[in-house]
Amino acid sequence: MALNIVVCLKQIPNPDLQFQIAPDGKDIRRDALNYKINGADEYALEEAVRLKEKYGGRVVALSLGPKRVDQVLREALAKGADEAVRIAHEDSGTYDVGTVARLLAATVRTLPHDLVLTGVQSDDQGSSATGGLIAGLVGLPHASVVTRVDVKDRILEVATELEGGLQRVYAIPLPALLTIQFGANTPRYAPLPAIMRAARQPIREIAPASVSLPYAFGVRGLSPPIAKGHAEIVTGSVEDQAKKFAQLLREKGFVRR
Amino acid sequence: MSGDILIVAEHLEGRLAPSTFEVVSLGRALAAASGGVVRVALFGQGVRALAEALAKLGVEVLLVEDVALAEYTGDGYVLAVRGLLESAKPRLLLAAHTAQGYDLAPGLAGALDLPLVTNAVGVRLDGSRLVVTRRLLNEKVQAEIEIASDRMIVGTVRPGSVKAASPAPGGIVVPTKVSIDASRVRMRFARIERPTVQDIDLAAADVIVSAGRGIQKKENLPLIEEFAKAVGGVVGASRPLTDMDWLPKTRQVGQSGKTVHPKLYVACGISGAMQHVAGMKDAGLIVAINTDPSAPIFEVAHVGFVADVLKLLPATLKELTG
Repeated sequence: MALNIVVCLKQIPNPDLQFQIAPDGKDIRRDALNYKINGADEYALEEAVRLKEKYGGRVVALSLGPKRVDQVLREALAKGADEAVRIAHEDSGTYDVGTVARLLAATVRTLPHDLVLTGVQSDDQGSSATGGLIAGLVGLPHASVVTRVDVKDRILEVATELEGGLQRVYAIPLPALLTIQFGANTPRYAPLPAIMRAARQPIREIAPASVSLPYAFGVRGLSPPIAKGHAEIVTGSVEDQAKKFAQLLREKGFVRR
Repeated sequence: MSGDILIVAEHLEGRLAPSTFEVVSLGRALAAASGGVVRVALFGQGVRALAEALAKLGVEVLLVEDVALAEYTGDGYVLAVRGLLESAKPRLLLAAHTAQGYDLAPGLAGALDLPLVTNAVGVRLDGSRLVVTRRLLNEKVQAEIEIASDRMIVGTVRPGSVKAASPAPGGIVVPTKVSIDASRVRMRFARIERPTVQDIDLAAADVIVSAGRGIQKKENLPLIEEFAKAVGGVVGASRPLTDMDWLPKTRQVGQSGKTVHPKLYVACGISGAMQHVAGMKDAGLIVAINTDPSAPIFEVAHVGFVADVLKLLPATLKELTG
């Protein structure tokens, strides 16, 4: 039961950085960013490669963006993807998830797919919507926040995570789409020879499909978040801070002495 | 197009999700502004009592009962919404941005080719446009976006960003027949799984000291434990730590873990991602320790220490015992 798997990967600005707003207020400043693979997508990639190793088949890594995105696709090749496809799309902000999902869906339709995987969310836009949109557009059943995947007789059994630590288990016939949760597996490190090999592998670049949107979308502006409330901040030397912390705990009755 | 708002309620095992009450509150405000009516769709089987609880919020509840809707499936709910749209033309459909909400909303928007915006912390109408506030890049940037369409817009609202609706008069339950072709529900609900590990009940603790990535190494956990003991508390964790198995899943505070309301919550090296904050923001006293003064945890904390937790905790322990 070989599986044709398409895994969608996103390259994002490293979210641990500090960000500045671009002069036009419509994007962040992109001149001094470093980029990485989106956190949840690492788990989606690992799940794709594990399923291929278990059941046989092929993994196509699919991404969208400018040339710099090739870095993420090479990483995927080094970790076990068989083929890499990049939709050449120059809008680096990708603020509208509907546009992104329609472009990805148009390509997914052209690739053999028993299973399409995405990460549960991106750490830059945080929409948690790309996977579900692709599923709806392509006409696949889907499940979100997946922590476990088994396949038997072309039926998936998947555990999906709910709030409060519960899991909801579904049986879903292939073809299907799953969004993979953080922690679903332990992503592997690519061995050096694989990294060297991936550096020489071709990445298929394709032109974005022309998609029609049933809406008009615009970014009005970006700003630093307006804090709803803010902590009373204690600064100073560690010793001074410790004194104040201990005093606070005593005043509020959390320690007796 | 009408100014009507349709909300999809969420429930599990006979209980309504608290986030549904928040979305109703937002829906009521938006409908009042647009001169429309807010309706809440409740899908399920044998859930009349939940419909009546929702009607107490002063809204019209469209109760759709069908054996195919007994448990949530994306397919089943999309078919149910599609059925409702045959006789109603709302301007906006809203759900909470929960694991179920962000499963349903994109699937629906994709299947029906509708505009979609998710994880909103603010939603308002500006003439014919919907203006949505979102948080990006680890909560470090806020974006205002706008969508205009002659089609229904689908949206999800981040839990905790709106106050829950309070009771109001005038609500009514309207049992609504929607024919659902069960053969078009491709996925099948199998079961609910519960965590089996026997551990302390974090939700019952008065004092929780939680550790995040800022503690750097698993070897630093005993320090957190020692501090928790000194303040009469137990140790919790943010998601990255339980993902790495430094602590069992039962200790995870947040949307996918436990929601806690202790008297004291000490966040040690936790940045304050939405998924964590959702589980602890209602604690009595929140103390946050983080080296990054721009960490979003300081937004929900009452007292913040800009410090390395690995230095501040030992020094504070010394103050307490010395």
